[in-house]
Amino acid sequence: MKELLISILILSGTLFILVAALGLIRFKDLYSRMHATTKATSFGLLLLVAGVALFYSTGVVLLKAVLIVLFIYLTAPLASHSIARSYRNDDREKQD
Amino acid sequence: MEANIPVTVQYIAFAFLLIALVLAFLRLVRGPTVNDRIVAMDLTASIIMGFILLYSVLIRKAFYFDIAIVISLISFMGTVAISTYLKLKR
Repeated sequence: MKELLISILILSGTLFILVAALGLIRFKDLYSRMHATTKATSFGLLLLVAGVALFYSTGVVLLKAVLIVLFIYLTAPLASHSIARSYRNDDREKQD
Repeated sequence: MEANIPVTVQYIAFAFLLIALVLAFLRLVRGPTVNDRIVAMDLTASIIMGFILLYSVLIRKAFYFDIAIVISLISFMGTVAISTYLKLKR
């Protein structure tokens, strides 16, 4: 039962990361690409880390998994916001 | 108390991540602007975190979680640094 749950978590997490990469290669605009990559990658890594932490299920590993997920969910919006703001300045300068 | 994950599941997960890595590398090579390349590098760091987590399942060593923490930190700092540099350059 536990093996089935861990397998489903790992496979769905990697599948979400694959979908993010597919969106990165298929979309036309930078904003669409960031829309595809940031959210899908965060969710996929959440599922993957949950699966691997459930695989070990000791206290230290669970604590580290919570730290990883918290850090990813704190920093991924900041990074994508920074990228979008630098691109916006570039765009404005081109229009002038 | 470690569970027994089937090897097929691990290999399929590795294959998914490998395909994702190839696609991100393609966008890294032919992205029109620098910002596309930054997004591709961010995704590549996440994919490599996934590789390390899966490899820790494969060889059953729990301390590989620390590497994932360090990679997420370095990826965030690199992304913000390059974006700030691009913004301040002009």
